[in-house]
Amino acid sequence: MSLLEIADVGISFGGLRAVDGVSVSVEEREIFAIIGPNGAGKTTLFNLISRIYEPTTGRIVFAGRDITQIPPHEVVRAGIARTFQNINLFDNATVLDNLMLGRYRHCRSGLLRQTLFTPFVRREKLADRRKVEEVIDFLELGKYRDVLVAGLPYGVRKIVELGRALAAEPRLLLLDEPSSGLNVEETNDMVFWIQDLRDDLDMTIVMIEHDMSLVSAVSDRVLAMSSGRMLALGAAAEVQRDPGVAAAYLGGP
Amino acid sequence: MKFYKKTSYAEDFRLFRDGAAAFWYALLALALVTAPFVLPTYYLSQLVLIGIYVVAGAGLMLLSGFCGQISLGHSAFFAVGAFTVAVLEKNGIPFPLAFLAAGILSAAVGFVVGLPALRLAGMYLAIATLAAAFIVTEVIVRWESVTNGSSGLNVAKLSILGFVADSEKKLYAVVAVVALAAMLAVRNIVRSPLGLAMMAIRDSETAAQSMGVPLMRVKLTAFAVSALLTGLAGALYAHKIQFIDPDQFTILVSIEFLVMIFIGGIGSMHGVVFGAAFVIALPQLVAVAKDYLPQTIAQQSGLQAAVYAIVLLAFILAEPTGLYGIWRRIKTYFSMFPFYRKGSQRRVKSFAKSETW
Repeated sequence: MSLLEIADVGISFGGLRAVDGVSVSVEEREIFAIIGPNGAGKTTLFNLISRIYEPTTGRIVFAGRDITQIPPHEVVRAGIARTFQNINLFDNATVLDNLMLGRYRHCRSGLLRQTLFTPFVRREKLADRRKVEEVIDFLELGKYRDVLVAGLPYGVRKIVELGRALAAEPRLLLLDEPSSGLNVEETNDMVFWIQDLRDDLDMTIVMIEHDMSLVSAVSDRVLAMSSGRMLALGAAAEVQRDPGVAAAYLGGP
Repeated sequence: MKFYKKTSYAEDFRLFRDGAAAFWYALLALALVTAPFVLPTYYLSQLVLIGIYVVAGAGLMLLSGFCGQISLGHSAFFAVGAFTVAVLEKNGIPFPLAFLAAGILSAAVGFVVGLPALRLAGMYLAIATLAAAFIVTEVIVRWESVTNGSSGLNVAKLSILGFVADSEKKLYAVVAVVALAAMLAVRNIVRSPLGLAMMAIRDSETAAQSMGVPLMRVKLTAFAVSALLTGLAGALYAHKIQFIDPDQFTILVSIEFLVMIFIGGIGSMHGVVFGAAFVIALPQLVAVAKDYLPQTIAQQSGLQAAVYAIVLLAFILAEPTGLYGIWRRIKTYFSMFPFYRKGSQRRVKSFAKSETW
């Protein structure tokens, strides 16, 4: 059984079918890329999976559990973490605190224990911190640990956001344009990290990406979308050769 | 020049940064313990008021400073706390129970007032909480059979299991303990995952939600805890003033609370204390200043409110981190001596961005 099954999912905003009848299955430990021109509905599809939007039609099943109806904050508890296209970090907090919030889904203590800051809370916080330090080591964020996010360069913020998602220890990672705004060196790092996440940590990755060299380098399968609909699905080379995809980008005859 | 070398993760969330900090706090504690024996009653009475405002301020700081939910309704929670304790004690219920009930009832009211916060933000939330405050005041005025309406209620001296706070010294002891407990409670929440979740909501609700923060639950918790502390402050205030009527709990009290946390320094626990001291001291300073002002200005009834407004504007424009920001700059100057440069403490300017997905 596939890890993520999207069956005939669609959403309309007024008269606009932003996502229209998308059906796709993502296997465990797969790196799955979504490409398409602007307005193709890629981010909307992400927002449907992470329950920010309510789908008009269809079902989304993750690890055998129907997540079409769960509240948005339950999505990460189910095992899906995401990043945002325009970076959505907690600007007035340090890098460390941003990553620590990634651990929120593992928090077991309630209001009373936290108000008294019992040894249980202390142990929990220390355990979280050790996990966060693993992420910091992995992404080489050590020198930024105590820096406020607001003052960091764009590329670093992008990586902090990836780190926050990783701190949640998800099974499925949704990356919305992981390489946008990164320089060549940072993009190379991103390729390595994405591969390591799958190979070493057994994560499944779905990413929206425009950089075809990155897509070809890491992805097992590629889905091309246009105007909310699926255009082509298959290996990167196949999808690139597809006449429909070329037409969607360049304008068809 | 001073260096901090951390050797364990626990050092990042302990109460005092190092031995030196612990020493200064111990000294402060000693000063607070000796205060009632050396200070004249008038100053002690001011300290009691500061303590009461610290309790309320700790609550509002959690809600507005850390969770980012603005509230103009805190005068309502203050009133609910004061009237609950007064009414219950009039009916023979001992102070500890009445005090607890005041907190719980305020928390319940806070919970209800917090409900609009799930859909509203910023100015709209401020207006919604303001409306709630008017409703609460109106209920107190109209419900004469219980609250005695506009004629107000007399409040007996505070007494806990035979210990009667019949002097300013004894009241000071009670208030000091409650204020310390309130500060510690809020500090604990702030350094716990829940506090982090509140800060996350303040900075980006979308991101907080996507990382597993239940917006509704955390916001309502912030409202309830904040109202609980403000209600406890109200209960202490009733005992300090010993006579309460609805006129003491107007919108001006809410504004006073907001001014307190803004001038103290939004998002800092030090700011609560600095702000409370400032808000209590300001009317006295205004009274002194009156003697030196021309008659036409000194006689104006809105003088104090005008001074609040000017000071608040000045802080927001020139020093948004408040008194705590100034305090920290002075401290940094000394700890970095002789390497301090003008830019060392420059704020990182980040502008509110609209939420985008």
